[in-house]
Amino acid sequence: MNIVTFTKRVPVTQEEELRITGDGAAVDLSKLPFKVNDWDNYAVEEAVRIVEKVGGSVTAVAMGDAESDEVLRRAIAMGAKDGFLVRIARAIQDPFARAALISNFIKNENVPFDVIFTGVQSEDDQFGSVGGILAALLKLPYSSMVIGIDKVESDHMVIRRELEGGLQERVRISLPCILSIQSGINEPRYVSIMGIRKASKVERKVFQGNAYEAGVGAMIDTVKWVYPPRKKGAMMLSGELDEVCKNLVGILKEKGVYQ
Amino acid sequence: MSYALVVAEVRRGVFEERNLDSFGLSSLLGKEIVLVVPDGPYSFNERLADTIVKVKAGEEVFLNPLNLVDIIEQVMNGRGKPDCIVFTHSSSGMESAPYVAGTFGLPVVTDVSAINKDEGVFYKSYYSDKIFGEFKCTGQGPWVLTVRSGSFKDAAAEKADAAKVEYIEGVAASDKRVFLEYVEEEKTEIDITKAEFLLSVGRGVGNKDEIPTYEELAGMLKATLSGSRPVIDKMWLPKPRQVGTSGKTVKPKVYLAMGISGAFQHIAGMKDSDCIIAINKDAGAPIFQYAHFGVIADMHKVRDKLKDMLKS
Repeated sequence: MNIVTFTKRVPVTQEEELRITGDGAAVDLSKLPFKVNDWDNYAVEEAVRIVEKVGGSVTAVAMGDAESDEVLRRAIAMGAKDGFLVRIARAIQDPFARAALISNFIKNENVPFDVIFTGVQSEDDQFGSVGGILAALLKLPYSSMVIGIDKVESDHMVIRRELEGGLQERVRISLPCILSIQSGINEPRYVSIMGIRKASKVERKVFQGNAYEAGVGAMIDTVKWVYPPRKKGAMMLSGELDEVCKNLVGILKEKGVYQ
Repeated sequence: MSYALVVAEVRRGVFEERNLDSFGLSSLLGKEIVLVVPDGPYSFNERLADTIVKVKAGEEVFLNPLNLVDIIEQVMNGRGKPDCIVFTHSSSGMESAPYVAGTFGLPVVTDVSAINKDEGVFYKSYYSDKIFGEFKCTGQGPWVLTVRSGSFKDAAAEKADAAKVEYIEGVAASDKRVFLEYVEEEKTEIDITKAEFLLSVGRGVGNKDEIPTYEELAGMLKATLSGSRPVIDKMWLPKPRQVGTSGKTVKPKVYLAMGISGAFQHIAGMKDSDCIIAINKDAGAPIFQYAHFGVIADMHKVRDKLKDMLKS
């Protein structure tokens, strides 16, 4: 089973104040730490687990700048055999354009695969669209929100999709196919700094993204970045921790849930 | 004809309430509404659509991206292309919308939560709701959109006339992706939807070893412990304890959220609680927008202080 799995380097934005610069032209990410996209981490882990069980190989692919090599080293440390970097000069906002470029890359380079994994979405743009568009462009069956893979056969898989309210649906999908992996599908293995250092010795192949731009045009355009509208918001309890906690308990008593 | 094609979401015989947001967005855009829905005895307000196209196929055949492209093609036949194709931003909409866009070569914007009709722009969330992107479609439509639940439902407007009903007799069901069965969550002893007081922990809890200390705090407060997605994904709390769209929707008297930033899927699962108290060290966490009371502090310090106070 050959599995191609996409992985993306994203900024860590929890607990960070994000600033819009140039009157809405850009979001300043320069001071933020970066990491692997959570969903992609689950996807790489799932791919490696399948290959460990049934044989084959995992190829991790990242599209981005030179720094994105970091998430490839990480994927290799987790068990991917190869790491491919498709270098692009600047981030492509439109998921259609991104998927079209990836589709060209896969076709032009004859990347062999039985299954392609993507994460359900990336933490930064939350589009959740590249996997589905790519499947349509490559004319492959598709499933998203994959929260379990119950069976792996040479010509099909039986998977579970996460729906709402704790419900799942079991689906049979023919290979080759594209699956977008939901977070929580597995427990990704720990990756040590030593492991990543060792992975650095495996050569990562670099491809120039502009070679795959034929027919790739953006269909949507970010006009500008804005701060979300603010609601009335919470009444903030401030002061010393002692006082804040007394107030908290006071509220719980008032609401009748604590005596 | 200028119209919005609304793709209905029906699960286990229920016309999902979040479809109202798709109607609302289409109404705001001033479009005639063509609703496509699997044929069945679902109860919903048919007055919200101008035309209802009922597809003679089960919901499990309908809500399959490989089949939906055939269904949409049939709806467009003879009617022409719509201005937009609208899905719910849910498990099925998130799966089907990009596939439909890819198949027909259409621009797609997901998780739309606001619009400015005059300027023809859509807003979608970035970076866990900290930034909004303002989008314009530069390509030829129709635009494929998924709509965030709760964003537009109030704008859903009844039409003057009863909807015209049409039928699609058959669907070329794909054999490449086939629904097998629904899988229910295991029943557990503790039902968080029944609790009057929930203490809910999120990503901020940091590591698994901290969980028992919050169980202890919940015990002291006579609260029930629940969690947000990151805590469930890491398997620090069992799935039935998850609050949010993919877990449980709860409405306790008090919802005390500690270390939860407030992704919209989480908010959707707890926003109707009588009283929401949020504790988070990130002053910019979206949850403070929805909470009644907020504390900007390290959740662990609040835990320790509360425990001290409750012991004495």
